[in-house]
Amino acid sequence: MHSRKMNPELFENLRLELRRGCLSVAVMVQLRVERYGYTLRKSLADAGLEVDEGTLYPLLRRLESQGLLVSEWREENKRNKRFYRLSPDGERILGQLLDEWQGINGSINRIVQGE
Amino acid sequence: MELLDRYLNAVRFWLPPAQQDDIIAELGDDIRTQIEEREATLGRTLDDDDVAAILKQRGHPMLMASRYLPQRSLIGPVLYPAYVVVLRIVLLWVMVPVFVLIVGPIVIATAENPTIGAVQTVWNLAMAEVFTLGVVTLVFAILERRPLRELETWDPRKLPYVPKTTPSLDAGKPIPRATAIADFILGVVFTGVWLRLAWYRAGFDLDVLHVTLAPVWNVAYGAFLLTCLGGIALGWTSLVWPSWIRLRSTIRIVIDAVTVGAAGVLASAGTWWMLTSPKISAADLAQAAHWASVGMKIALAAVAIVSLIDVFQEARRFFGARQGSAK
Repeated sequence: MHSRKMNPELFENLRLELRRGCLSVAVMVQLRVERYGYTLRKSLADAGLEVDEGTLYPLLRRLESQGLLVSEWREENKRNKRFYRLSPDGERILGQLLDEWQGINGSINRIVQGE
Repeated sequence: MELLDRYLNAVRFWLPPAQQDDIIAELGDDIRTQIEEREATLGRTLDDDDVAAILKQRGHPMLMASRYLPQRSLIGPVLYPAYVVVLRIVLLWVMVPVFVLIVGPIVIATAENPTIGAVQTVWNLAMAEVFTLGVVTLVFAILERRPLRELETWDPRKLPYVPKTTPSLDAGKPIPRATAIADFILGVVFTGVWLRLAWYRAGFDLDVLHVTLAPVWNVAYGAFLLTCLGGIALGWTSLVWPSWIRLRSTIRIVIDAVTVGAAGVLASAGTWWMLTSPKISAADLAQAAHWASVGMKIALAAVAIVSLIDVFQEARRFFGARQGSAK
């Protein structure tokens, strides 16, 4: 038997890898309702998905550049804020992604239960 | 908010100009919102230490800016393995042998001071390696930035054939790289030393003693040079083909045979030198010559025995490798 001391970084890397795709889906779901960055982060945290701002804002920009989100600068509480929401293309892709996610989730459950 | 402004300014520095204002405005708003929320929780205005803690938690300005930028690399994961292979071939298998075998000996032989010549060769090699590293990296960086059509138009039928290895050469344990490198370096050093210090010398001056070499040594010069060059070939082939055990054994047997032959020719001569000195008496010189001859006989016998033992071992390895491969 080959035994090796568990590297704590290994779990962290795999966890981040697992989260990366899920995070895009979670952000898109939350942006069915218009939000700005700070409230989006809080809403994700309230749902149990903590995201640091260094990850969230670049992700928002990427999704926007891919046409999945739209944004506009608007004043709220006497300060300019950038509000994001899902674009029509984003809505369509999100539906497909959720179907895919359900499929993967079901497959993983069947594989785990079949062990 | 001075700290926050300084932080945002530092982040701005690392951002592409077209996106600076947009990103800084959003980042600034986010941090300000966090500060306000924290102030509401504490019921007081945050001081510099509190703001510094928030900013520190956000990360170094360069790190923060890098998260907004696309992941970039000079040479990507597709070309990187090829880059490493090319570097290894050029820097290790081309540059080093060229400098050690061609440039170095010429520079050392023509230099007024051989030591300075050797240092100059090492320095030139280092500079040439750095330059080559830069050129190879530049070429791969350019390749990385053009569409690699070959990756889409490739045909499995055009992949190179797996070489038909000669079983008798592949059998056995591969030669350790350290052994191969040691053989190569020793071969080069001995060749250099032999050519520089001993090649066709008529004699030596040792303090008050002059040693005149007998003509029989003329045979030994070529033979010893052959064994030194054989050492270089041994190291080189072992590095390039570490599994070719029979090739290595063959080279070693040839080196041993040449060594035994040269030892035999020298031993048959009986007289290897003549000692003269203006300050030592004839009787003492005769005594010294006698013991030097005894030492020479012992040395020649030892060399012959060690070489013959090596021939025996290499022959066993040679045939063992062939039997092993036949299974």
